[in-house]
Amino acid sequence: MRSYLLKRLPSAALVLLLASFVIFAILRLIPGDPATSLAGPDAGPEAVAAIRARLGLDQPFLTQYAGWLGDLLTGDLGPSYAIGGEVSELIGNGLGATVELTLAALLLVVVLGLAIGLVGATTRRPWVAGALRALTTAVLAVPPFVTGIALVLVFAVTLGLLPPGGHESVLDAPDLAVQYLLLPALCLALPSAAILGRYVKDGLERTLAEDYVRTATALGVPRKRIIRRHALPNALPPVVTVLGMQIGQLLGGAVLVEAIFAWPGLGQLAEQGVVRRDYPVVQDLLLLMVGVFVLVQLLTDLVYAWLDPRIRWE
Amino acid sequence: MALLLTRRRRPGLLSARGLTGLALVGAVALAGLFAPLLTSYDPVAQSDLALAGPGADHLLGTDDIGRDLFSRVLYGIRTDLLISFTAVPVGALLGCAFALLAATSRWADMSVQRLFDLILAFPGLILALAVTAILGPGALPVVIVIALAEIPGFGRQLRAGILVQREREYALAARVGGASRLRVLVRHVLPNAVDPLIVQGAVAMSVAVFIEGAMSFLGVGVRPPEPSLGSILSQSMAYLSTHPAFAIAPLTAVTALVLGFALIAEALNKGIRR
Amino acid sequence: MNALNSPLSNGLSRRNLLRAGGAGVALLALAACRSATDKSSEGAGASATPKRGGTLTLASGLDYTPSLLFAQSAMTHVQRLVFNTLTRYDDKLQPQPELATSWQLAADGKAVTFKLREDVLFHNGRKFTADDVIFAVKNLQNPVRSAQLRSTALAVTNFEKKGDFELTLTLAHPVSNLFDLFEFMIITDEATVEDAVNGKQLIGTGPFTLAGRNPGSSLSFKRNEKYWLPGRPYLDAVEIRVIPQADSLLSSLKTGQSQLSYDVLGKDVAALKGDSQYRVKEYATGAGAYYLGVNLSAPQVQDKRVRQALAWALDRDRLVKQALGGVGFPSSTPWPKSSPVYSEAGAAHYTHNPDKARALLKEAGVDTLTLPLAHANTPGGTAIAQILQYDLKQVGITVELQPTDSATMQKQLISQTMPALWTLSHGFAQLHPATLTVSAYPFNEAKNSSKFSSPEYTRIVQEAWNRADGDSAEAKALYQKISDTLLDEAFVIDLAVAGRTEVATGKVAGADLNKYAYLILDDAYLTA
Repeated sequence: MRSYLLKRLPSAALVLLLASFVIFAILRLIPGDPATSLAGPDAGPEAVAAIRARLGLDQPFLTQYAGWLGDLLTGDLGPSYAIGGEVSELIGNGLGATVELTLAALLLVVVLGLAIGLVGATTRRPWVAGALRALTTAVLAVPPFVTGIALVLVFAVTLGLLPPGGHESVLDAPDLAVQYLLLPALCLALPSAAILGRYVKDGLERTLAEDYVRTATALGVPRKRIIRRHALPNALPPVVTVLGMQIGQLLGGAVLVEAIFAWPGLGQLAEQGVVRRDYPVVQDLLLLMVGVFVLVQLLTDLVYAWLDPRIRWE
Repeated sequence: MALLLTRRRRPGLLSARGLTGLALVGAVALAGLFAPLLTSYDPVAQSDLALAGPGADHLLGTDDIGRDLFSRVLYGIRTDLLISFTAVPVGALLGCAFALLAATSRWADMSVQRLFDLILAFPGLILALAVTAILGPGALPVVIVIALAEIPGFGRQLRAGILVQREREYALAARVGGASRLRVLVRHVLPNAVDPLIVQGAVAMSVAVFIEGAMSFLGVGVRPPEPSLGSILSQSMAYLSTHPAFAIAPLTAVTALVLGFALIAEALNKGIRR
Repeated sequence: MNALNSPLSNGLSRRNLLRAGGAGVALLALAACRSATDKSSEGAGASATPKRGGTLTLASGLDYTPSLLFAQSAMTHVQRLVFNTLTRYDDKLQPQPELATSWQLAADGKAVTFKLREDVLFHNGRKFTADDVIFAVKNLQNPVRSAQLRSTALAVTNFEKKGDFELTLTLAHPVSNLFDLFEFMIITDEATVEDAVNGKQLIGTGPFTLAGRNPGSSLSFKRNEKYWLPGRPYLDAVEIRVIPQADSLLSSLKTGQSQLSYDVLGKDVAALKGDSQYRVKEYATGAGAYYLGVNLSAPQVQDKRVRQALAWALDRDRLVKQALGGVGFPSSTPWPKSSPVYSEAGAAHYTHNPDKARALLKEAGVDTLTLPLAHANTPGGTAIAQILQYDLKQVGITVELQPTDSATMQKQLISQTMPALWTLSHGFAQLHPATLTVSAYPFNEAKNSSKFSSPEYTRIVQEAWNRADGDSAEAKALYQKISDTLLDEAFVIDLAVAGRTEVATGKVAGADLNKYAYLILDDAYLTA
């Protein structure tokens, strides 16, 4: 296991380093800089110059880049330029909301995915299987902004059951918070649930067709028990991989879903950071997102390897 | 004909799934193609009549600045298809080029793999915001973002295909026969590894429509007043509660396109696997 | 078909579904307690006697930007909650006492003496004195603060204290907009001013203290128990919620989760006006006026007649109706109706007259004209730009739209690198007209985004500004000249004037804005 990790780690670090450079360079290629954004609508050039100097934006590109990496290594993210407050605090707050959304979505993904997979694999009625297949295809293909608008049209505009967007703190008002959470979480969860459902179904069908299952069935073991004890555990490893990949997808998809439902998470923070050219916020945030993606990939590989002994540690 | 009428599972595109996909994409694409015949309204002509509901004059009503929505949706379909049919081949070519490059040496393979990782790891919509901020909004940044996003998909498919094919006997035989590595790759391995790419192509079309919509949704899509499905949708958002009809036509068109391409991809995939 | 005819498979899936659904049921049970979509049922009848207590929740479309504390920006809810100003204008632009109890302007207009309140404490317990006023003026003189009123603050050259509560400011020259400065200038604590612009803390003398800030989502304020105005504020706390999406903002008002907002879109305001549950009030302040800017460094628009043709080509009525949702009024001058220089003739100077536009273009010898137009890439900005583009197309001018994000647009505005045309909104026309021409970027006589300059414009602007009698008939005649010059030169083509619109549910009474749209809640209270 350790050697496997040692083999994977350097390339993960390399991706992170490359990403940091790309992020840093792209931000500075965008016209309009934080100093003008900070200086306000009617600032003079001297005000802009003073702010540039204070923020160190007048230094050479590579010096700034090295400075940023240095700050990262010491763990000091420093203050934000335009939004205000410490970067770590901003990211912490946004992360809270995004994780709340992602976790709720993940819960829905697991519940819906397992349900779809189990029903799909074990039903004996072709129309149920067919309907499920059509449903997962549709849900998978349709982008979240379409499902988002459709959900709002149905549940908020027509039925008036749920709010069209916004956020309430779980700590302050859990009852309201759940209502705000439902639509965005569902919108975010649907495609991943469909993918998971398919994998569960495929995995179950494959294991149910294997010899030992037939033997067990022939020996009179109840089918429920077979599925719970044998088929499901054997179908799980690929499912875990898929789930791992979906966590990355969920975090990425959260950006768009947050925009649709006015959810104050990392997606909104990133958008605001780009719009106001808040370099530190955007840089750290993007690197964090890339880092999470890389980490999730790494962990998935490890968990997969751990769950499936056929994979050797080389 | 007999094949079509049998109850047996039909292969590839002719499966129920494939035909549904073709029908969906076909209907939407034809509507876009024949836009000038289907409507007499100029999609950018404005009038005093804003936010009219569906009716005889304006089939789907008008938008917030008095433009005919039916016409805008039809021409918006054109924009979406044009962007997708430009961006996807570019992404495919680039992805394949990288995959071929990867096949030349271990070191190249390693670098290309990391490049794909990097592209996949980068949040796509943030990339979209950045590219548009640099180039200014318009169709070009949308094409670039889509092409970029498609590179790893095509690249990985082809790379996997090459890895399998080049260990096959015919490839080994050609090598032994003295053909150069590149020649074997291009003449022998590539043609045999191409099938999954067609599937990937259909997936990519579906993703392309998706990305156009998402970018327009965030206000960084095609340049106004040109209509695109995403931009009409994004415009309609502000009127969801007061004029829900505004959103329904673009919503339907986007869904049909994305779903149609996805169904075609699935059908092709099943066909290949047989 | 019987739902139970394959008991094994269905039994299993059903049970799992149920188990899985358990979590969902628990959530729904929780959700059943209270609904986030219930319409609040309170009537609009505000009781006459103010009541103490309660928390007012305000929905804001924008977040507070600490670095712009001293510059007027789009979000100005914080300034007058945490801080005070020396004076405050009434509806006729006459200053009224706030931290200053009285003042005396020298006959030549080159000095002003203030008497200050002696019972004012900062939130940290320190006593407010004349030194704080001196610092406040110097603070605005600092270019880094980017205060729009900096040119007026710079006219102050000397400070003379007489005890702790009397102060004379000496001016280099008289200025007609002196009290525009004191309406604008918030009194801050010198020791913590850097913390304030860095978003770490806010120490002022105002009715509320900042209790917490969650960037991007909320700000909370607590009642200042030692506020100098006896018995005020009535409210125990104020909560500002940042809700960028217009629909969500509206629904937060409708469901009673917020009670007050200044950021409801025009189209929604129009819908709420007929509803007795809401009170809608329009102010002559805020971003103020929508305009089409012309950059004179583009050779095609250097001829005045071409710019006037642009002004005649535009259908301002349609723009107000379709892009602003009917809020505001079409106007070819920047002034709101409360301005001393507003006139109907001025507002209606340019009407929608494509023929006249074509004739002027012909006169200027222009056959074909293609111009780029920068606009904000927001739905509202894009709608306005498309209307302008279409109207100009009708007179033969091709316009290429350049959707631009706000940071880039601002850089172009400040660095005078706008394309030939751009559209934005501007403020500062709600005060003494001189303020517009020495403070707001598009109009600034010394340096503006249009790169327009003329000795005549400079002369009348300086003459209107360098005088003590800002409200005299002579001053008004000069303001009129400024207005006429703006119309004639057409380097800023005004389209419509629309101030801030207050939407309050029936529960709220007594909210107010000053002339810079600073939110004032000293007298606000909840009726329910």
